[in-house]
Amino acid sequence: MLKLFERDILSVEEISTSQTGIDVRDLCVHLNGKLVLNHINLRIPKNKITAIIGQSGCGKTTLLNSFNRMNELNRNHTCNGEVWIDDRNIYDRRERVSMLRTQIGMVFQRPNPFPMSIYENVCFGLRIQGEKNRRKLDDSVERALKNAALWEEVKDRLFDSALLLSGGQQQRLMIARALALEPSILLLDEPTSALDPLTTLHIEELINALKKQCTLVIVTHNMQQAARVSDYAAFMHKGELIEYSDSDSLFTMPAKQQTEDYITGRYG
Amino acid sequence: MRRQIQLNTHISAKFNQELESLKHSVLTMGGVLEQQLVNTLVALKEKAPSLAERVALNDSKVDIMETQVEQECMRIIAKRNPTAGDLRLIMTVSKTATDLERIGDEIARVARLVTLNKIPDSDLVFTGMLDIGNRNVSMMRATFDAFARQDDKAAILAHQQDRDIDRVYKKVLEQTAAEIQLNPAEINQWMDVLWAIRSFERIGDRCKNICEYVIYLTYGRDMNSASMKKTVKKLLK
Repeated sequence: MLKLFERDILSVEEISTSQTGIDVRDLCVHLNGKLVLNHINLRIPKNKITAIIGQSGCGKTTLLNSFNRMNELNRNHTCNGEVWIDDRNIYDRRERVSMLRTQIGMVFQRPNPFPMSIYENVCFGLRIQGEKNRRKLDDSVERALKNAALWEEVKDRLFDSALLLSGGQQQRLMIARALALEPSILLLDEPTSALDPLTTLHIEELINALKKQCTLVIVTHNMQQAARVSDYAAFMHKGELIEYSDSDSLFTMPAKQQTEDYITGRYG
Repeated sequence: MRRQIQLNTHISAKFNQELESLKHSVLTMGGVLEQQLVNTLVALKEKAPSLAERVALNDSKVDIMETQVEQECMRIIAKRNPTAGDLRLIMTVSKTATDLERIGDEIARVARLVTLNKIPDSDLVFTGMLDIGNRNVSMMRATFDAFARQDDKAAILAHQQDRDIDRVYKKVLEQTAAEIQLNPAEINQWMDVLWAIRSFERIGDRCKNICEYVIYLTYGRDMNSASMKKTVKKLLK
């Protein structure tokens, strides 16, 4: 059949096991005695951008945090279910959390550079891992900064304090810091909510370019951003996954009335 | 104010690509239709029902293309929240696709006249039909060219070609009426011819609509407004 527009997005049902980056199976999380995630099942595809949307307190960030076991920082938490990444359940007792977090990078809402130079910020994770070879560190820093589209702006002042960078640059530096460890998954928690609209578009363009090398999961309150940037989108409400599909379908023809009400601004 | 829409200047390369391929899809549709019209005219001229049959069958292709363009417009609106020139481009593409689909239907109607072997016996009417058809081809080409280049002046010139089509249409209509008066018993046969002539005339109207969309795209104003008429006069001077 004649096709005017090419699409490389499969429907959620068509995603095979080999194409899955994160497989969440029946995940339930309680934080401080409260059920925050209620039997979540979803398959996040590899090398695609998946957005998680929903109201504040619906469990988006908790779900994101459960992909690198960040919820464990809260002592009063329980977690049931499985999260499979690279053919292993990351909640298995044998899993080494520090190693897991080198494989899964995370970028937060507000850029949080360490009070040190741009160079040291980027190679911080590598140094923690014990990398001392100067040439390897230089290469990694350059590669990470290039991938984060920051190299051209900072290449002449790598040893200046990272705190002198603008908000947008700092956020890209955070992405570079995460990329230096060459993660297979990058988690982004509201990465542009503190940035102006144009810088936001630059970061989104960067996110789009990064999917060639890793799987990205983005939590955002900004529905337009989720629509613009994502290949797949999941809508959550009160700890439950209401709908998960390719974002073309979710934003043009959602299957559930609840999703339609939320994305059209009729909720609550 | 006149503005050429730059498709390749967004921060998002993907958005640039989406708009480019949307614009390209209209031109692809236009190319298919132009070929359909040329084939219909050949079928009419050479009284070749098999070629006309192929044209009639191909019309479903154009319908599918229209659906795809509409869906893509909807998808881009939902996902990109386009504004200003981008929004005008998407609306223009959407409306153009509808007109192109209708042009496809009109062409298929003329093609069916050939497949049913109802080509008029009268030389005058037959030549008149071919004349309108050829003028349609020329107007279609000028219209798509104006669309591709977002050229408002070219769109106005293409728009004016419809006047000639209407003039020839009126003449052929009078000749057909005279033929009917001579052979009132063959009225049913002539009704089909009349519909086909009408279809040719409608193709011109649809092209005219597309030219107006092109002008709307660059000016952001309806061509029928008084201020726009003044602009048109100024442009043509």
